Amino acid sequence: MSQAALGEAVGVTRHTIIAIEQGRYSPSLETAFRIARLFGVGVEDVFGWEG
Amino acid sequence: MSFREKSAWVMGAIMLATGLWYASLVAHAPQAPVIGPLIPYVLAVVVLSVVAQTVLAIASPKEANAPADEREKIAIDRAGHWSGVVLGVLAISACLTYVALPSGGMLFHHVIGALIVAQLAEYVFQIVLFRRAV
Repeated sequence: MSQAALGEAVGVTRHTIIAIEQGRYSPSLETAFRIARLFGVGVEDVFGWEG
Repeated sequence: MSFREKSAWVMGAIMLATGLWYASLVAHAPQAPVIGPLIPYVLAVVVLSVVAQTVLAIASPKEANAPADEREKIAIDRAGHWSGVVLGVLAISACLTYVALPSGGMLFHHVIGALIVAQLAEYVFQIVLFRRAV
């Protein structure tokens, strides 16, 4: 799946997907859930938190 | 480069160019009625903005119609906040200048200049925040 297609599927721009992938932007909870749901996995399978 | 960053670059360039033009109009005729330079300035900004945004929208119609996403909204909000600070500082400087040099005409141009600089600053902040990913 391309970054543009993923962005369109979850309602953000391709540039926001790039920023998320590069760890420069933390998505909202809603977008995190949308991404996880799109891939059929849980949020914690996609995102982690380093405190 | 995203559509909104392109738009910020173009609008920033328009504000810079027209702002310098306004300053030169005022510098060449400082005693002229204050409305003199304002009308051509406003017309130039409106026409150039409409033309530039139309060209950008034709080049990227899908992105132009899409609303700002969550990251872009944060960048736009923060840029608006910081440009408000710039406007406040320049407005106070305009008031202090008026106290030292009481000229209503120059106060008018100073306030218009503050609005122009604050708007330019907003586009600069947007570009920086879009690139920093917020």
